[in-house]
Amino acid sequence: MVTNRRKFLKQLAAASAMSAAASMFPGIVFAEEQLEGLPKGLINWKKAPCRFCGVGCGLLIGLSDGKAVAVKGDPKSTVNKGLCCVKGYHSVMAMYGKDRLTRPLIRENGKLVETSMEKALDLVAGKMQEVINTHGKDAVSMYGSGQWTIPDGYVASKFMKGAIGTNNLEANARLCMASAVTGFISSFGLDEPMGCYEDIDHADVFVLWGNNMAEMHPVLFSRLLDQRLKRPDVKIIDLATRTTRTSVAADRSILFKPQGDLAIANAICYELVENNWIDKGFIEKHCSFKEGKTNIGYGLEDKFKFSDKAGTITFEDFKTFLQDYRPDKVEAVSGVSARDIKYLASLFGDPNKKVTSFWCMGANQHTRGTWINNLIYNIHLMVGKISTPGNSPFSLTGQPSACGTVREVGTLTHKLPHGVVANEKDRKMAAEIWKVPVERIPYKPSYHTVEMFRALDRGDIRFMWIQVTNPMVTMPKLNRYRDAVQKDDRFIVVSDIYPTPTTDIADVILPSAMWVEREGMFGNSERRTQHFEQMLDAPGEAMSDTWQIIEVARRMGFNELFPWSKEDHIEEIWKEYARFHEGKKHGMAPYEALKQAPGLQWPFVEGKETKWRFHAKYDPACEGNSFDFYGKPDRKAWIWARPYEAPPEIPDTEFPFWLNTGRVLEHWHTGSMTRRISVLHQAMPRSYVEINPEDAKSMGIKNGDQVRLVSRRGKIELPASVHERGQPTKGQVFVPFFDESLLINDLTLDAFCPISKQPDYKKCAVKLEKVNVIN
Amino acid sequence: MVIKQRKFTIFIFIALTISVIIIADVSYLSSQEEARLAAWNTVDIPSIPSETGVFRRSADVLDYTAMPEDVENQRSLEVYYKNRAFPGAPPMIPHPLASEKGIGGNTCLQCHENGGFVPKFNAYAPITPHPEMLNCKQCHVSSKTASRFKPSAWEKHRHPDIHNTALAGSPPTIPHTLQMRENCLACHAGPAAPKEIRVSHPSRINCRQCHVPAADKIQWDSMQWDRGSVLKNLNN
Repeated sequence: MVTNRRKFLKQLAAASAMSAAASMFPGIVFAEEQLEGLPKGLINWKKAPCRFCGVGCGLLIGLSDGKAVAVKGDPKSTVNKGLCCVKGYHSVMAMYGKDRLTRPLIRENGKLVETSMEKALDLVAGKMQEVINTHGKDAVSMYGSGQWTIPDGYVASKFMKGAIGTNNLEANARLCMASAVTGFISSFGLDEPMGCYEDIDHADVFVLWGNNMAEMHPVLFSRLLDQRLKRPDVKIIDLATRTTRTSVAADRSILFKPQGDLAIANAICYELVENNWIDKGFIEKHCSFKEGKTNIGYGLEDKFKFSDKAGTITFEDFKTFLQDYRPDKVEAVSGVSARDIKYLASLFGDPNKKVTSFWCMGANQHTRGTWINNLIYNIHLMVGKISTPGNSPFSLTGQPSACGTVREVGTLTHKLPHGVVANEKDRKMAAEIWKVPVERIPYKPSYHTVEMFRALDRGDIRFMWIQVTNPMVTMPKLNRYRDAVQKDDRFIVVSDIYPTPTTDIADVILPSAMWVEREGMFGNSERRTQHFEQMLDAPGEAMSDTWQIIEVARRMGFNELFPWSKEDHIEEIWKEYARFHEGKKHGMAPYEALKQAPGLQWPFVEGKETKWRFHAKYDPACEGNSFDFYGKPDRKAWIWARPYEAPPEIPDTEFPFWLNTGRVLEHWHTGSMTRRISVLHQAMPRSYVEINPEDAKSMGIKNGDQVRLVSRRGKIELPASVHERGQPTKGQVFVPFFDESLLINDLTLDAFCPISKQPDYKKCAVKLEKVNVIN
Repeated sequence: MVIKQRKFTIFIFIALTISVIIIADVSYLSSQEEARLAAWNTVDIPSIPSETGVFRRSADVLDYTAMPEDVENQRSLEVYYKNRAFPGAPPMIPHPLASEKGIGGNTCLQCHENGGFVPKFNAYAPITPHPEMLNCKQCHVSSKTASRFKPSAWEKHRHPDIHNTALAGSPPTIPHTLQMRENCLACHAGPAAPKEIRVSHPSRINCRQCHVPAADKIQWDSMQWDRGSVLKNLNN
């Protein structure tokens, strides 16, 4: 009391002295006021990685009066060097939609009613416990995202696997990157690219495998174009099933039939061997040959099980395998002329050319996704064009932290932050760091994403918590899974920032803090971890996804596993998580460095980033003085004999068209953020179906005509787009998936790659009808 | 006598005190006046702005000095800012596209590299300050509808003031960032330049000899990334 009074008198004296001084000297400024007295309109710039795609551009966010007002590219970021795309430049506008979720909502008698965060979190924890008590811990599940920050994914993994003790943890990256992961693991034993974006500055030839980079990875594509301008010998080859902006910009556009990529890749290898363009020394020293199972199925039935088995073969066996892929023999199945295949092989085979391949969803969303990933590596390995500047088979990522969170933290059913649940050593490591009994972490993976939603349909799963993703737009064969989540006795919690078709089916909606409204990290395609600080207050009661999980875990009695305070939890989580990756193969940059740098690449060893892995010159984890593929026990990269196999559903007389789906430049995935940005919505207001001009002409369809698409699973009516942005090959149509009012995934097929369990959104059969509008 | 002297001393002291206060106030008020006129406080990255493109002009660009002023078809700054989500944002494409698929050199740059009058739109094509970037539609998109998906609370930030000379008659400072806009003449010269910011002397192409960026109030904050020092700290 005494000290308080003294303090009060002191403050009073100071205040009167200050006001006296101020009346005599009106211009006088005191230290405290100086901070507040900044003139309105001053913009303060802070760094953050972009919220959208996996390129991971460095942005500078312009802040003024507690609001984000502008964006520019961070010139210090080596990713984008100051350039952004239209989504990045306008990204901050996504925080200011008037329908932001700011209060939690609970469904009562079919109606959503507002409640407090405390009550909503109590309800979530209570319901989760109740389901565990009545149906067992494998009846609860969590479905997250490649847009989760690294701390979000880490606490989710610790909560589900370490605290509750179930492997029912998946993320939407299963739908976009799973084949890339299994491709890396089967060929190299370790996930994520060996190269980096700097390869672009060294490569002479870029081969794009089913990847419309000009729209989906525009900033990287601009780096390609920039290189071609500076070095006129640079060539860009677009291999695709559809003519796009990328094809127009490329030096050569080669169109192939859906699924034909498997045959093309093998045919290129055939040509390399036939012309003796292979690097024999490299193959002998650094590669071994393997074969796996064939006729592996498509996962269309519930509880489908498959596991591959590697058998060792010789180089001679591999050559025999390639005999079926002589370029003229694969013309029919690939739709590509032998001449074009020979041309491609000559580019890979030219000893004076550095070649970089890029691919993304075309190769990954593929019922043989793991195989096509393997086959692209095969080509690069046959000519030894890998792990050195400019020679790079580079798997691009779709989401900002599909690598950082889902793949590195391992928010998938079979994964742990280090290694897999099936491995006892990995389980012991997790148990030790998490301070939980090792028996609590189940050794058996449970459900991958498609199977998880099927389990929800069957009733094996009764509770699902969905964060930062919109499965009621993105699940393939959506009809079935929409019915599943709405069944009685299924409890769905959704954490999001705006109302979406997924919040429509939720029993509890938790408002989330978005991006720079909280602190976090993303990890991009090139193993770069990027930190962003909290720059803005989240609206209303909105809370970060990390903190939501911590609050629920604490309510379920796991306080000791989540002991951090609100102020330092991100830092503490990072420090704990980094322990999983210590060492030369995956060491993570320390928190303090991440805070300052516009991103740092792992392996971060002794204060240095590793740009290229598996070569002693660049990677400190290598032994010897040249290549060392240390991910595999034999320290070799594996070349796989993977045949062509047909897709599960092929157009026939009843359903004569291929349906291909994908993204557009202006919208991020399901558009829940970008459609609320006026510039982007106005540029791309609604979905459409691209039709080949010849097909359109023969059916009497003009640009803008309303047409109907029907598959065995569903139908949709939407306007036709002829001669516009993209042009599918004859017999194929393309529909973007961003539009929540035109759900194309009602038509798609939930077939998946049996190895990666990633669905194929690029191939199913549909029929096309003109809708006769009666005036 | 002694009293008189003391009174005089006191008078001098009071006079001095008052004059100190008056001088301080006057100088403060005059500094306020200057501040009112000062530029929009643009905070740039704490390094010297890039010099690339300072002297660059397209080889085929029109000879502005030889052109008569076309008052009827000139653009205003209002139109210029209306086309941007915030000052510094990439402008939207306000006209229909010749091709949705086309890239740079084949389409957009045919008009926007060198400029010229387009009778169809009764306007001069604005010139891009960065014609070396070819994937134009990566950042610039056209508007296909005036509708909104959902209402937004986004407020456009105030754009820079054009009255930003330090002294009467001195050359104005540059009130915006120069990133990707190093080529001053692209926006400040020729018939497509907004009339309020069009220079009277486009033939003097060394713009930054007289016009300097107003980056005086720099917020260091999170921009202090200097690889050397970070790594040194780590190693210590």
